[in-house]
Amino acid sequence: MVQFLFLVIAALGLLTALGTVLARNLVHAALFLVAFFFTIACQFVLLEAEFLAALQVLVYIGAVAIILMFGIMLTRNIQGDDTTIVTAAWRIPGLVAGLCVFVILAFGINSAVAPAGHSYWSESNMRPSIAADAGSSKATAVRREAVNNMARTVGNELMTRYVVGFEVAGLLLTVALVGAIALAHREEAEPAAPSRGEQPARRTSASPQPQAAGPSLVSSGASPPR
Amino acid sequence: MASDIPLNWFLYFAAASFSIGLVGVLVRRNAIAVLMAIEIMLNAANVNLVAFWRYGNPPLGAGPLPGVILALFVITVAAAEVAVGIGMILLCYRRWHAADVDRYDSMSG
Repeated sequence: MVQFLFLVIAALGLLTALGTVLARNLVHAALFLVAFFFTIACQFVLLEAEFLAALQVLVYIGAVAIILMFGIMLTRNIQGDDTTIVTAAWRIPGLVAGLCVFVILAFGINSAVAPAGHSYWSESNMRPSIAADAGSSKATAVRREAVNNMARTVGNELMTRYVVGFEVAGLLLTVALVGAIALAHREEAEPAAPSRGEQPARRTSASPQPQAAGPSLVSSGASPPR
Repeated sequence: MASDIPLNWFLYFAAASFSIGLVGVLVRRNAIAVLMAIEIMLNAANVNLVAFWRYGNPPLGAGPLPGVILALFVITVAAAEVAVGIGMILLCYRRWHAADVDRYDSMSG
């Protein structure tokens, strides 16, 4: 039963990942990506990490997907959606590279390598039990406590054992926040982005509306503002 | 549980997802699509981390859930990366008026 559930979820996950990669419309790709994140959350539930599944839904679906949607809306392609896939000359090497990586990873998963005194991890068909029976050891009790009260255990671990990583992660998030704002801040002197409709130029001739983006704009017109 | 899921299944799923994400990075041209494919790869790595945490026995000094904490940090770094990446894509879009990665060729000789 659990195996059947895993197969269904894995098939859905792979299909949605393929849809994310192959969809021509970027909005469709983002929606496929949301579905993929949800199947990953389902995988976490199957692995008995429910707190991580909730976090996955909150952070990825709630924040990352929304940011990507905003990005798609703000950088809508002028030419349309036809240019989001490269030409066929680059498609075949990309597929070959992906296939080769999968073959190598599958070979690594299949080949049984184990440190001395351990069983082959590629043959572990049963997860360690966390049932509270008589013969359970202390490590099993610790793990049962961690699985059943994962949020509390994660908080304790972050405040004791991983406090340095926790602080560095907080610093990283602060830097990312400030950096994203500094990057996306629009200078006042900069000409406005071209709108889709044919609007009359609001400014004087000092800042003409750019024409359709061509190579000449890249080579000559766009000097980076310092 | 009588019939548990083998560990290999999770690993194969993660490997397949990672390969799909790699193909997306190589094949897609839009910068936001490339960012999405990177997210797919990071999620595949997270599945691996949590699977090894649940199926293996952590060493003595590692605490009860090392894989989960590492996956948590990966999620944090991925969120920061997406925020900065979208900011940079918006900046490039404003300068080149395109979101395609092969248009950003100012430094190519």
